Amino acid sequence: MKIMTELTSPSGQTAMIGIGEYRVGSFPMMTIGLGSCIGLTLYDDTLKVGAMVHIMLPDSAGRKDRPGKYADTAIPLLLKELNALGCKNRSLVAKMAGGACMFEYFGTNLNIGERNAEKVRAVLKENNIKLAKEEVGGKVGRSVTFLPASNGKITIRRADGTAGEL
Amino acid sequence: MKLSSVQSDAIQELGNIGAAHAATTLSQMLGSTVEMSVPAIKAIDISELGNYMGEESAAMVAFELQGEIPHGGYIIFYISKESAIRLTNTMLGLTDMNRPMNEMDESALLEVGNIMVSAFLDATAELLGFIMLPSPPALSLDMAHAAMSSLVAQMGEEVDEVLLFSTELVCEEHKIDSDIIMLPETQTLARIVELMENMMKGI
Repeated sequence: MKIMTELTSPSGQTAMIGIGEYRVGSFPMMTIGLGSCIGLTLYDDTLKVGAMVHIMLPDSAGRKDRPGKYADTAIPLLLKELNALGCKNRSLVAKMAGGACMFEYFGTNLNIGERNAEKVRAVLKENNIKLAKEEVGGKVGRSVTFLPASNGKITIRRADGTAGEL
Repeated sequence: MKLSSVQSDAIQELGNIGAAHAATTLSQMLGSTVEMSVPAIKAIDISELGNYMGEESAAMVAFELQGEIPHGGYIIFYISKESAIRLTNTMLGLTDMNRPMNEMDESALLEVGNIMVSAFLDATAELLGFIMLPSPPALSLDMAHAAMSSLVAQMGEEVDEVLLFSTELVCEEHKIDSDIIMLPETQTLARIVELMENMMKGI
């Protein structure tokens, strides 16, 4: 598992963020094929620095080994890393995408996507972070690109070829 | 769980038998020959799932494995979007490749998935005497990673690595390429390995 904090990505390319991973910096970041998972970004417009995490589940239930995997551990961790780079919580803005329900039949028993989105909202609120925008739910996969260096621009792409800014 | 080479071989053999039955049913539905690959077993860290399944559009018909073990993991009929439309066109007697998929296609895919997965699980049940019943099917026509990661999320908080066990089924005549993928939960995997080992020892 790759976890790094740095201001430029080592290759100069877009950092691909797998399930449970996160990155902090000003380089382009991307999560592909979000289903019930959440792609959460935090962005500081004064410093043009941001963080992105690929959350899979709402609660860690005390697990410590993969903090980026769970909403309750991922957000405090990103804040800590961003604070270390000089970001103030009050200047951070959050956006999220994902939280879909890809399989309707299974979704009736336990809608993880919806629970993920609810937990992210709750933990952001606890930490007084503003959630500026979200595109969650539905039965649709999403890929998200985050460009901290370009005013925190976020693009969402869907399987049907449509794309839009968040 | 880490598998020894003997255990991997055992699971491969099980996949061979299950997939052979599934291939026969597909071949009957298409009225054409279907070839199958050697089953591949991969242990994949969840953070690297994107290296195996990406943004490509695919139809996935997923079933939860139920029966002796209530939430035993998943079994999936996977087919790329291009192959999916060739498959339903063949079944429905259509030729247009660029038409949008509709409810008829969805029903056809669910039905094919149902028949193939049932054949796969019947064969493995007969071989091992271990009953894995498929739940009703659920279909996703979207990015492969979005669908697969949603299934992995349903396997529980403690899952950091999944064992993906897949067999490719190809119909050359109609250029249809599909996979049967099993995503067993730890208990299911342990039970399969135990039963296969006993069988090979002649118990």
